[in-house]
Amino acid sequence: MHIQELILRLQRFWADRGCLIGQPYDLEKGAGTMNPLTFFGALGSRPWNVAYVEPSRRPADGRYGENPFRVYKHLQFQVILKPSPAKVQDLYIESLEALGIDLSKHDLRFEEDNWESPSLGAWGVGWQVVLDGMEISQFTYFQQVGGLDCRPVSAELTYGIERICMFLGGYDNIFDLVHGEVRTDDGVFPVTYGQMRQREEFELSAYSFEHADIDLHRTLFDAFEKEGWRLLKDQGHFLSAYEQALKMSHTFNVLDARGAVSTTERPGIIKRVRDLACGCAKAYLEHQEGAAAPAEATGKGGAK
Amino acid sequence: MSATKTFLLELHCEEIPARFLTPLTEEFARAFAAWVQSQGLASAALETFYSPRKLAWRGVGLPASQPDQTETQVGPPQRMCMGEDGQPTIQGLKFAEKWGVDFSAVRFEQPAGKKEPCAVLTLTKQGRPTVELLAEALPGLIAGLHVPKAMRWGNSEFEFVRPIRNILCLFGEQVVPITVDGVAATDSTWGHRLHHRQHPEPVQIATPGAYEAALEAAGIVVGVETRRTRIAQQLETLAAEVGGRVVADAELLDTLAEIVEFPKIVRGEFPADFLELPKEVLVTSLREHQKSFCIEGPDGALLPCFLTAANRTDDPAGFVKAGNEWVLKARLYDARFFFAEDRKRPLSDRLEKLQALTFQRELGSYHDKTGRVVALTKALATQLSKDDEHIDRALEAARMAKCDLRTLMVGEFPELQGVMGGEYLRHEGAHEEVWMAVKEHYRPVGADDALPGTPMGCLLSLCDKLDTVAGCFAVGLIPTGSKDPLALRRAGQGLVRILWERGWAFTPADLIATALRVVGAKATKAEAETTEALLAFFKDRVAYQLELAGYAGSVRRSALAAGWEDLADLKARCEALSAFAEDARFASLAQSAKRIGNILKDEIPSGAFDSALLTQGEEKVLAEHLGRLEATGDQKALLAALADLAAPLEAFFTAVMVKCEDPALRSARLSLLHRLRQAFLRVADFSLWQ
Repeated sequence: MHIQELILRLQRFWADRGCLIGQPYDLEKGAGTMNPLTFFGALGSRPWNVAYVEPSRRPADGRYGENPFRVYKHLQFQVILKPSPAKVQDLYIESLEALGIDLSKHDLRFEEDNWESPSLGAWGVGWQVVLDGMEISQFTYFQQVGGLDCRPVSAELTYGIERICMFLGGYDNIFDLVHGEVRTDDGVFPVTYGQMRQREEFELSAYSFEHADIDLHRTLFDAFEKEGWRLLKDQGHFLSAYEQALKMSHTFNVLDARGAVSTTERPGIIKRVRDLACGCAKAYLEHQEGAAAPAEATGKGGAK
Repeated sequence: MSATKTFLLELHCEEIPARFLTPLTEEFARAFAAWVQSQGLASAALETFYSPRKLAWRGVGLPASQPDQTETQVGPPQRMCMGEDGQPTIQGLKFAEKWGVDFSAVRFEQPAGKKEPCAVLTLTKQGRPTVELLAEALPGLIAGLHVPKAMRWGNSEFEFVRPIRNILCLFGEQVVPITVDGVAATDSTWGHRLHHRQHPEPVQIATPGAYEAALEAAGIVVGVETRRTRIAQQLETLAAEVGGRVVADAELLDTLAEIVEFPKIVRGEFPADFLELPKEVLVTSLREHQKSFCIEGPDGALLPCFLTAANRTDDPAGFVKAGNEWVLKARLYDARFFFAEDRKRPLSDRLEKLQALTFQRELGSYHDKTGRVVALTKALATQLSKDDEHIDRALEAARMAKCDLRTLMVGEFPELQGVMGGEYLRHEGAHEEVWMAVKEHYRPVGADDALPGTPMGCLLSLCDKLDTVAGCFAVGLIPTGSKDPLALRRAGQGLVRILWERGWAFTPADLIATALRVVGAKATKAEAETTEALLAFFKDRVAYQLELAGYAGSVRRSALAAGWEDLADLKARCEALSAFAEDARFASLAQSAKRIGNILKDEIPSGAFDSALLTQGEEKVLAEHLGRLEATGDQKALLAALADLAAPLEAFFTAVMVKCEDPALRSARLSLLHRLRQAFLRVADFSLWQ
């Protein structure tokens, strides 16, 4: 299956079950959870179902486009269901069937894997979903986000798009995946993941491991932090302040890939990101719960 | 005696983490047993069942209702209950009314402890139906389970290990009407996910006894032991089919039995060129990433095959096999990438990078630790060997020991520390002694693990552990009670076992002094204090080593009390004592030794004694024996000489009155006994025997 077909099917599936289809957030980030649609959406009492694709950057995972299984940037398909429906596992399984996976012929397991993001002050319990020995999704019941208890609890489903595509197509190399087809008057031209992304992988890996200016990134980290707290404290602006926390997080990841962060230094740096993110979460919740009552259910039923 | 029925409770949840299954089933079984007893309901023990989505308990022989209970109520004195007219007073009537009976049921008698007759009622409390009691108690018992990593879900505040989606609760054929977090109990449950998708109706459980069979028909083997046995059988068969045997791993077998509801072992293959990776890498990668077993051929070399468990009855389209093969190939590709990447530079390139890797805050980096281990190795190796080349190799091994902590492979698989360093050095062409020592220097990892196979490996392991233990003690990190986060006891035990099995003549006091000298200024505690704590720590480790070696309690106690620091000597004494304990003369000797102890208890005998002062034959014989004893060097001969002493000692105590009138003679006899006791103490303190 082409990558874009997989994305389209997932979007259709979840839209049909009462989810908003969101968009990626236009800042570098390590995971779809960091998108404000999830970070803030999981907080507070308002019902919230949303699904979107998120390009996720992990500088330390960069392999210069040479490793057939590991990349600097991959695509996550993220679903948030708040409150978590009683049949959430069944819904997830149906979504796999919508991708053409005939579960009567496969081995599907939910194996314990508790998710934690120290830089977001967030954690949850859940599973990695394993299909025929392959981890294809992460499934989490959020317990805390931004250091605050989640009430109600959201279910977060994260699909690894490239992985699932490779697995379904039996590909041995991520760069051989077909993203989609370009049709012109001259014919049909399949476009591979490699054509679209391999050079990017090379340059971004080289940047993370070799060329990123360490001093600049240290300066940037400090500056983003200062800017974030200024926005949050002086203006009470949690969205623009949260963007600074995202920038801090990515800057830290670059420094880490560059080998510029010692083991002793690491917890302190992560805490600085977490403190700002938690401050934003608290300000959001005060604003949200103070200003707006939870949306009324219309009674037509959604993902429940 | 009322009829009995069988109780069945099943909590059907979303997948429960394997590590919580046993503790949760056992904890509920204990709580339930205590509750049954508190209600006067006798019952056989609960059977427990679990699978990834089920926690279940079944109790046979539970009475259908509580037995009736009689109780006596004592009221006011007779004179206050009955008027002079023979009619009940207001107070008397109120007493009967309070317990809901007619006054005619009240009788008067004098209960124990009362001075006069009182109103007395015998009440029969009717036992309640068990099903009612269960309905009242179960929700609390379930909610009261201690869940280490509890979660909430949906809108609820209820906390449990994973969301509860169905409750099956039967007493006989009757549903026990309970509700937990909005889920009401029924007489049905759900089978395997695949079964469930083909059969949308729940599985009816007609009676508690039909539970396992009904579930097996719905694709679930609900007994973990059954699953484990079936997995073990399939593993063996599938490995034998390719002419090999499974690389045993009891922990992995347990894990597989806990993560599937219906076990089907699948055998897959991987490309044979991955066999160029070290065996340990393959075994670890397969276990950690894919929960798979390796298969080894008759020569111990791995075959390009693996075995893993699927959670279903079959693999109809071969997808499970193909999928696992695909994933494994990706994993091994990664491992091969690490192996190739790590070898692009010599291992020694990582030495400087160890500075950025903290060993412990006060004790510094792994670079600092390496420096200390090298210094210790130098101090000890020169005592064991005069061969300079050999000593240089030991120092080289010590320098390289921790370098693999900065390799990609150990970053991915921390449990391969040491192994990878050794493998990389071997590929670099290092001396066999060096790479073997590095490879095995974390051993023994536990009581069941072997020591490093070479003397140099043992020396490196000893120095590494000694530095860890002494260093941590020197900065105040001392294990207390059940708290030993740095596993210092395990390190100390490994160290003692190496000394014990290799028979090296280092004493704990010397080792401690050397190690603390090397720790030097990093210590935050006074040296005398640390030394004392370390001596006590090592004495405990030595005592445990004797237990591990299998000596009887009396041998251990009496031998330890006569000195524990010279391990070779201690071992010889324990061996000799164990053998001698069977000797008929031994009981008599131990008895005499105790007697000597009693006689000398309040005396301060002189060490020097003049045998010329002795008068009786029995004591002169004893004095001759003493001379021979004191001249005997080795433990075995000493014990033989002590055995020969049994009869003369007995004769001595029969014939000689030690505390006689003549002060000079008395003093000489006490000195004789004192010197004898000193000779005994070279082997054991017999006063601690039994």
